[in-house]
This record gives sequence, C-alpha cells and structure tokens, in this order.
Amino acid sequence: MNTALLEIENLRVNVAGTPVLHGLSLAVHAGEVHAIMGPNGSGKSTLAHVLAGRPGYEVTAGSVRFDGADLLAMAPEERARAGLFLGFQYPVEIPGVNNAYLLKAALNARRRARGESEIDAFDFLDMVRAQMRVMQIDEALLTRGVNEGFSGGEKKRNEILQMLVLQPRLALLDETDSGLDIDALKVVGRGINTLRSPERAIVLVTHYQRLLDQVVPDQVHVLARGHIVRSGDRALALELERRGYDWLLDAAPAVA
Amino acid sequence: MSALERLLGEFAALAASDAGVDGAGRRDTGADAAAAALRAQGLPTRRDENWHYADLRALEGIRQFRAAPPAQRTADAQLPEPLEGHARLVYIDGVLAGGSPLPASPALTRLPVAAVAASPPADPSGEFAGDARMGLVARMFAPEPLALRVTGSAALEIVHLASSTAANCHSHVRIELDAGASLSLVERQLGFGALVAEHLPPAALHCSNLELRLGAGAQLRHTRLQQAAGHALRFNTLSAELGAQAVYQLCQLAAGDGSERTTAQFRLQGRAASLRIAALAAARGAQSADSQFSIVHAAPATRSEQLFRGIASDRAQVSCSADVRAEATAPGARVQQSLRGLIDGPGAAVNLRPRLTINTDDIQAQHGATTGRLDENLLFYLLARGLEPATARSLLKWALLGEVFTAVEPAPLRRAAERAVAVQLRDATATELLQ
Ligand SMILES: Nc1ncnc2c1ncn2[C@@H]1O[C@H](COP(=O)(O)OP(=O)(O)O)[C@@H](O)[C@H]1O
Ligand SMILES: [Mg+2]
Repeated sequence: MNTALLEIENLRVNVAGTPVLHGLSLAVHAGEVHAIMGPNGSGKSTLAHVLAGRPGYEVTAGSVRFDGADLLAMAPEERARAGLFLGFQYPVEIPGVNNAYLLKAALNARRRARGESEIDAFDFLDMVRAQMRVMQIDEALLTRGVNEGFSGGEKKRNEILQMLVLQPRLALLDETDSGLDIDALKVVGRGINTLRSPERAIVLVTHYQRLLDQVVPDQVHVLARGHIVRSGDRALALELERRGYDWLLDAAPAVA
Repeated sequence: MSALERLLGEFAALAASDAGVDGAGRRDTGADAAAAALRAQGLPTRRDENWHYADLRALEGIRQFRAAPPAQRTADAQLPEPLEGHARLVYIDGVLAGGSPLPASPALTRLPVAAVAASPPADPSGEFAGDARMGLVARMFAPEPLALRVTGSAALEIVHLASSTAANCHSHVRIELDAGASLSLVERQLGFGALVAEHLPPAALHCSNLELRLGAGAQLRHTRLQQAAGHALRFNTLSAELGAQAVYQLCQLAAGDGSERTTAQFRLQGRAASLRIAALAAARGAQSADSQFSIVHAAPATRSEQLFRGIASDRAQVSCSADVRAEATAPGARVQQSLRGLIDGPGAAVNLRPRLTINTDDIQAQHGATTGRLDENLLFYLLARGLEPATARSLLKWALLGEVFTAVEPAPLRRAAERAVAVQLRDATATELLQ
C-alpha cells in the first residue's frame, strides 16, 4: 500500500496536565473516509485540535505525519495551508471580521502556499456563490461577520462551505452533524460528499451514526479512554447504534 | 516653585505685558476668570477622583506653559488634503495662520472675541468642574480665542499644527449653533508632525478648550482626529450644551504618539436632545490615553449613547470613564453605553469606568464594559483557516474598532483616520492596505 496521507503513531496528549490521549495510532489514506466515534469525553475533539495545532495541548509522545511532513512541528496556519482543514464542533462568532473576507483570505493563503497567484475577485465570488447554493446558505450571510448571529445549523453549514472553498487534502470534521435537523444533515452530507476524491481524505468525528447514512465511511474507529479500541467497517457503526458504547468500554484495557 | 505657581506667575507676566487680543483684554476673554478658577482649584493631582489615569507626571515636567512666542509660522507640507465642502482654519501654535481668515461661508460668522467668555468657567463646586481644569489653562493662554456663530448649514475644518517640537499650542474656541443650524466640524490635531525619538519626555503642552452650544433642533457632526507625534502632552477639554431636539454626534479618535487626556462634558438641556459619542484610543509605548466623558440628562426624552474602544499596546495605559447622570427632570431618557478595551502588551493596562446615576424612574439604560486580551479562541479559528498570526491579530483589532470608524464623518476622512490608527498600532499590513 502507498504511504498514508495522515499517519498517527502512538500519540499521547495531556490537557491541563491530565493525559487525554494514551497512545493513539491511525492511518488515513488519500481517497478514504474514516469515522471516529466514541462517547462524550473520550478525546475526539482533543485529537482534532491537536492535529490542527491548537495551543494548550501537550504532546508527550508519538508522531503525526501529514503528506510526509512532521505535522506536529508545523504552526496551525502552516497546517491549514498545507491542506488540513478542521471543521469546528463549536464555530466561534467573530463580529467585525467579514465572512467573505475570511473566505478569500483563507483561500489566498492556501493558494500562495501552493505557488499560485491570488484568485480574481470575480472568479472568487462566482465560486463562492456556487458553493453557497450547494450548502443552501443565504448569500446575505457573506456580508455578515463570521458566524455572527448565525443559527447553530448555519454555523455548521458555514464550516462545510469554508471546506468546499478551500478544497483541503484532509478534512477533519468535528461533530459537524450535531444539532442539525434531518434536512440540514442531508445538505451537510451532500456537501461533504462533493469533496470525496482520490486525492483527498475525510475524517468524520461523530457521536451518532446518522451522518454516516449520508457519508458512507470506508472505516469506522471507536475512540474510548484515549485510544482506539476497535476498528471496523460501516457495520461497526450500526452495531454501536444498536448496542451503545458500554460493551466496548468494558473490553477496553485499563489506562496505563 | 510648584507647577501651579509657575503657571500663575507666567500668566500674570503675560497679562501685564500684552494688550490682549483684537483689543479685547484678558479680562474680556475670560482668561482672568479662568486663572482665578485655576488658582482656587489647583492643577489636577493623582489624588483627584477623575485624574488617576492621566499623565500628570509629564505635566509636572512641563517647563513653560505660555504659548510659543510669535515665530515664523508657515503652514507647510504638513497640511493634509482639504476636505471637500469644508472651510479650513489653520492654527499654528494656537495662532490662526494666514491673517485669521474668516471662512467664506454665509452660514458662518465670527463673533466679537469677547463672546468666548460667554460661558464662565464651571462653578468649582459643580460635580464635574474639577475635571475640566486643563480647559482653564487653554482659556488663560490661548493666544487667539475665537467665537463663531452658525446660522445655516456650514462645514468647517480646524487644523492644529505646532511650529516645532517644543512649541506650546493652546486654543480656545466657542461655536454657537442657532436654532435649526447644522455644522459638520472636523478637528485635526497634528502637532509638529514629524516623529521624534520615542520615550522622550514631552517638551510641549497643547491645551484646547472647545465650547459648543446647540440651539433647538441644531445638528452637529463632529470628528476629532488626534494624531500628533509624541513631543507634546495634550489636554483636550470640551463642553457642549444641547437645546431641545438638538443632535450632536461626536467621533473622537486618539491616535497620537503622546500622552493625552480628553475631558468632555455634555448637558442635554432641551427636551429630546440627543448625543452620540463614538470614541477610540490607541496607545503604545509608555503613553497614556485617558478619556473622561460626563453626560447630564436634564430634560425629558433625551438620549445619549457612548461607544468607546481602546487598545493599549506595550506598556501603555488606556482609560475611559463614562459618567452619565439622569436628573429627575429627565423622564423618558435613554442611555446606551458600550465600553470595550483590549490589552495588547505585557505591561499594558485598560481601565474602563462606566457610571450611571439615575434620579428618575422612567429611564431605559443599557450598558456594558469589557476588558481583556485578544480572544485565543477567535485567534485560533483564523489561524486554522491559514491566516498569518499578524494578520489574524490585526483583523481582530480592527473588528473591535470598526464601529468607531463607521462614525467618522465626512466619509473621506475615514481613510485618513484608519491610516493614523494603523500607524499607531504599528500594523504594517493595514498600513500597506490603506495606502
Ligand atoms: N481545555 C480543557 N481543559 C481541561 N480538560 C479538558 C479540556 N479539553 C478537554 N478536556 C478533557 O479531555 C477529555 C476529552 O475531551 P474531548 O476531547 O472534548 O472529548 P470528546 O470530543 O470526545 O467529547 C475530557 O475529559 C475533557 O474534560
Ligand atoms: Mg467533542
């Protein structure tokens, strides 16, 4: 098999002095969609944040390679420009920073990193409008502050819109499905599916399996007590839906 | 000798030696009364209630108080682009340049100079009187007091320049707006312009005193942009009285390099008078930028809004006090207040002091005051989208200040204001974008 796009080995992470991830390993290849499931507090968001480079997470052991590079040595903005995208579980509101401005600045940062010129203003607007139609986002939201006064669902759709504009190599979507009604879930699922391609990979972090009806994963992992306790295919997600997580937690080895 | 003794001594010598202005003596322009009031009150000290945060140490270091002696005063390349539709008055060291031209506008007339004494110095026993003390210094030493009357619709720009880094500049201006009159007033305080070495104690004192009276239904849009280099210590004192239905919008930007204190006092005297203040202060180095707003609602259905945004970088101190009092005579008053400060340096400090004193039952008041560092969550969100840390920080700062810039009138001044603030924030990206 060719080398993985994302290769996490034995990752150990402390948050506020407390170990949260205890030796997590995971390989994601280009073209694949992985789902990471697990009970609340199991460390899913911690993993997503560590990969995106959020300050305050202390890596005590292990390594992460992204597209061959040492991801953990890169600054957050370098990771983004290299094609890693984090869809936030709780997107922040940034009044006074224009939504369209951020989209364009983010896209141009990524283009410059690839040695491309900045995008033409008209091409940019055409492209963003087209993606907004896919995500069924009102165009008026472009001129607002980032997520300012957006509903919960609008915030999540805006995350996916940003992803579609940036066309990342790896999208890490942290509970993008939470708080969405069934129609919004379909829109979000459709948006995510348009990113699927042999060059890209997607990691869906989710608590429930319902998003996986829309975006069918190649692999499903269960994160519990800070590491991956079980991996499988789609069927594992359905089994979790039926049985919950307890049977796996009982099986998980005690924390070292 | 104390600073007060030196100051009063200088004033006595000046009063004895000169004939005053335009034939009017210092008694006629109220300078004598101001000196008497200052003698009674003394110069502000840190112990005084509303002077904790002003740079009074720098005031102690001022060697001379009187205005610069007449020098070769030329308004040179320092002058900014003229503003369309605005008559321009240029003060150099507090003296009107070009033979005191009267702006060529039929709606604007110059009153006899004695009219500047129309409002006596505030009663020293008055609640906020002590706050306006440096306005008394301006009254005492302004070499060319000016009183104007607005009868129709007018637009006026007043530019303040200094002829050297050591020149004191004092001004005393009174503007009366007749009932129904409207004025667009722009003040630009540019000082000597050239940037001098940082962290030197200020060599000069700039005191301005501006008195405004708005008749019934009068409208005033006023932008004050302070962007002087750090050679001068500046005290701006402003007082305004608003008649019934009068509307006053003040936008004030303190983006200079020197320490600065603004004292602004407003009295909403007539029914349904309305005041909106949008103010910004950006300070760095060892600067202090202190604003003291006091607003009295004295009539029914009056409205006031105070918006303040401050950024303190390095070791700078930014402070804002917004003191609103609604009298028993002001039922139906509405007060809206939003004060926000950003601490952006290891030794920086922001002090926000909202205060509402309410003596009427029937009032709507909203207020909020928040101070903090840049929100790490917002910062990380922007970084996670690939933005440079410097760009992300800059965006968040401009987001904080945005509401103040939208209040800058007339619109062509907005860019100059943004540029001044970008320079003051040492924001290279924004400075380049705004070229
Ligand atoms: N900033 C933080 N400070 C302290 N503890 C944290 C912080 N963030 C997460 N944790 C802890 O780390 C564990 C994993 O949290 P998280 O990664 O958010 O879980 P999940 O996303 O799976 O619900 C939890 O026990 C949580 O309390
Ligand atoms: Mg989570």
